[in-house]
Amino acid sequence: MALLEVDDLRTYFTSRRGDVKAVDGISLAVERGKTLGIVGESGCGKSVTALSIMGLLAPNARVVSGSVRFEGRDLTELSDRELEDIRGRQIAMIFQDPMTSLNPTLTIGLQLTETMRRHLDMSRDEARKRAIELLEEVHIPNARARLDDYPHRYSGGMRQRVMIAMALSCSPKLLIADEPTTALDVTVQAGILDLLEELRDEHEMSMIIITHDMGVVAESADDIAVMYAGQIVEQTNAEELFDHPEHPYTEALLGALPQVEDENVRQGRLTAIPGRPPDLVDLPDACRFAPRCPYASRNDSCTAKMPELRELRPGHLVRTAHPASERQGAPVPAAAP
Amino acid sequence: MLKFVVRRVLWTIPIILLVIFMTFWMMREIKGSPFRKSERAVPAAVLANLNRKFGLDKPWYVQYGKYVKDVATLDLGPSLVLRNQDVNDIVKEHFPVSAQLGGLAMLLAILVGIPIGIISALRANKLTDYIAMLFANLGFAIPSFLVATLLIYEFAAQLRWFPTNGWDTASSKVLPVIALSLGPMTYFARIVRGQMLETLQQDYVRTAKAKGLRWKRVVVVHVLRNSLIPAVTAAGPLLGFLVTGSFIIENIFAIPGIGRYYVISVSGRDYSTVMGITVLLAILVIVANMIVDILYGFLDPRTRDART
Amino acid sequence: MVLNPQNEELRELTVGREREDGSFEAGAAINQTSLWRDAARRFAHNRAALVAMFAFLLMLAYVVIVPFVVPYDPNAVNFDIAYVNPTWTHPFGTDEFGRDLFLRTALGGRISIGIGFAGTVAIMVVGILYGAISGFVGGWLDNAMMRFLDALYGLPYLPFAIITLAIFGTVNFWTMVIALTIASWFTTARVMRGQIITLKENDYVRAARAVGARWHRVLFRHLLPNTLGVVLVFVFLELPGVVLGEAFLSFLGLGINPPQSSWGSLAQDGYTQYLSHPYIIVIPSVAIAWLILSAFFIADGLRDALDPRTESAA
Repeated sequence: MALLEVDDLRTYFTSRRGDVKAVDGISLAVERGKTLGIVGESGCGKSVTALSIMGLLAPNARVVSGSVRFEGRDLTELSDRELEDIRGRQIAMIFQDPMTSLNPTLTIGLQLTETMRRHLDMSRDEARKRAIELLEEVHIPNARARLDDYPHRYSGGMRQRVMIAMALSCSPKLLIADEPTTALDVTVQAGILDLLEELRDEHEMSMIIITHDMGVVAESADDIAVMYAGQIVEQTNAEELFDHPEHPYTEALLGALPQVEDENVRQGRLTAIPGRPPDLVDLPDACRFAPRCPYASRNDSCTAKMPELRELRPGHLVRTAHPASERQGAPVPAAAP
Repeated sequence: MLKFVVRRVLWTIPIILLVIFMTFWMMREIKGSPFRKSERAVPAAVLANLNRKFGLDKPWYVQYGKYVKDVATLDLGPSLVLRNQDVNDIVKEHFPVSAQLGGLAMLLAILVGIPIGIISALRANKLTDYIAMLFANLGFAIPSFLVATLLIYEFAAQLRWFPTNGWDTASSKVLPVIALSLGPMTYFARIVRGQMLETLQQDYVRTAKAKGLRWKRVVVVHVLRNSLIPAVTAAGPLLGFLVTGSFIIENIFAIPGIGRYYVISVSGRDYSTVMGITVLLAILVIVANMIVDILYGFLDPRTRDART
Repeated sequence: MVLNPQNEELRELTVGREREDGSFEAGAAINQTSLWRDAARRFAHNRAALVAMFAFLLMLAYVVIVPFVVPYDPNAVNFDIAYVNPTWTHPFGTDEFGRDLFLRTALGGRISIGIGFAGTVAIMVVGILYGAISGFVGGWLDNAMMRFLDALYGLPYLPFAIITLAIFGTVNFWTMVIALTIASWFTTARVMRGQIITLKENDYVRAARAVGARWHRVLFRHLLPNTLGVVLVFVFLELPGVVLGEAFLSFLGLGINPPQSSWGSLAQDGYTQYLSHPYIIVIPSVAIAWLILSAFFIADGLRDALDPRTESAA
């Protein structure tokens, strides 16, 4: 049994115009000690997936159906108090923007120790001692002195290190990292990724890395799920995905790998494929990628009916009528809007 | 931080001088000498005498300089109308009453308004929230004179639980304090609710939840603290509110406070008293703003650092 | 985006919003409505704001129309019908002189709302001028002007309004307007300065300056028109304050005097006889509350409508 098994999860947001189907029937599994990468453009539902797992959805969002089994327990059926016992202790999470993810009016030390004191039954002094060790572990120089500083004295990269230390403080079994490097300077991004990998091995954790950037998961992920418009469109192990991508969207993501650092990239928009993702309120019963797909022509079956997620090869799932290995000829040039 | 406090304190001095000057200048612009208010003419010689006695014959900057000096030595000068009464005496007699009224009202506003705001935010868009916000909006919109009058009508005239006016026994203070506190109370409730809702959306609150902290701790340690700091800033302008409100409430309940006396002095053209009280109230507000500023600096580590 | 959203022909390029949950609203890219039409659409979807707008217009209609259609003389004394409780012929009853309160409240409303609007316009003009000069010129002048505002911030307006009235020595419509404006324009000035400074940093303003646009063109074409939304919100935020200020002054007997009446002086009138006839003070007070609440919710709705980020909050 895998550590985490997500089965047919659907999370909808209530809006004036109707339900926004942010996550629309996805299934995932994270094995012990392995890293799963979830990749997709901003708005594809990857963060909402993570928040659904954690039970941290905004008040206007709800899990409509599906299950999230963590060590066999369905997290969606737990009470708030039971979930609180799991969060931070069993499953920890770090977020995209370290500048806003730490409370500006509390010291780093307090924010670090409160997690441990909540879950581990530590005294104040023990927790402080452990906090210093943790800061050293994430390579914060002069950790003892910096414990009583407020977050604004830390740089962005250092704050993300603090977030990581905080997430690791109770040795969770699963760490979810939601765009851990996106808000950071390019120069410190690699350092944070290295650190995450190093700590995963050390603590024997499983990890979910959520990103819009194939480069981030290229080295660290064992398995990769590519999401588009609330669905998984391709899922397999990392090697297979990079060597034999099947979905046109994955190809585009890979093709777009070396991107120029501009506003669009920072916000996770894919500029290499023209067009935008569909409106998640009013979804047609067709392949959601079809309007942007260079291989879909007007009277294709995929513009009338949603393709199933099928196992093209053992362990390689893909949702498209035009996987690379079944394609003949050149892309349809006029299909893209 | 010490430097910031010293600078902030020193900065109030030119502000106070400016406000005194503006008040002083406005008072000089008022047409009609106080000694000419009655129909019967005062003989020219007497008028000149009176003017000399009160220094009204000197050039304006001499008068201003003397006035500033007097204020600095806590001497607001003689009343122009009440013979042998100093403005100081008037303040000494009436100000404590107003201060007590205002203080109690502020206390009640804080004790009730802040919890209402907190509960309302935690129950956002639920029935409790709607009821609380209905109360807050009505309290904000209904003029205090109606509230005061209705309170008197119901609880003093009909039920006879409290006296209709005065400021002596404890029971006589209940209705005016409630009437005066209603405005600031709803103000606090709305500010705290708004701040709480904003704070609840902050990333660091999500972080706190992700750490598995108990909801109570998330609210108390991470949300409340960051929501109440801005509420502190709101307390400064509230003093201005309170002054305005006390003018109305003191008049309705016939409370011998400074607000009621102010209105009487204006009607009686006792301008030195009017000026004295105005300057006093202004200084009070300026000092309150200063304290709030300094307090805010202490509460928020970001400004605390930026200001060292 | 280096485009001035006020520029009609370029405006449509600025749409495309991201929703709160991070998903992208593709529809926005298709129906490219203008900024203002967008705001109007959002306002029309806000039920509280619509109700408030209706209530506000209803009050205006009452105040404007009723004096033309009610067949009574507002000042005719007739003790035979003194203190009539509210009935069909006298919906709000009559006062101690037998005067119809339905009519007198409407007339009082003309004065109160008139002072309210005139005062608001005065506050806006002074505030915008002060804030725009301070924010646009910048430098030491900005510094000095803001220090001055800081000094005056939070001063209670009532004493200064009272002194101003004393300076004029007479109380009428316009002296009331001036008295209520004199200590009420600080907030508007401060906000306007903030707006101007923020806008000045926008790329399209920088672009305009870079290509050598003259200062008055930058100010009047690029900066001030873009503050219109905030100004509109502030009109409805300041109006309640002025109306309430008038009511307080008149209630204290320092404002509008007979034979003229305002809501404040009507309330003062009612206060003297609340024990026997409480409805007389209730009617003008409720009118004041009605106006304040509706203006407040309109301001709230406008703010939400003009700020796209709040859209999906409902």
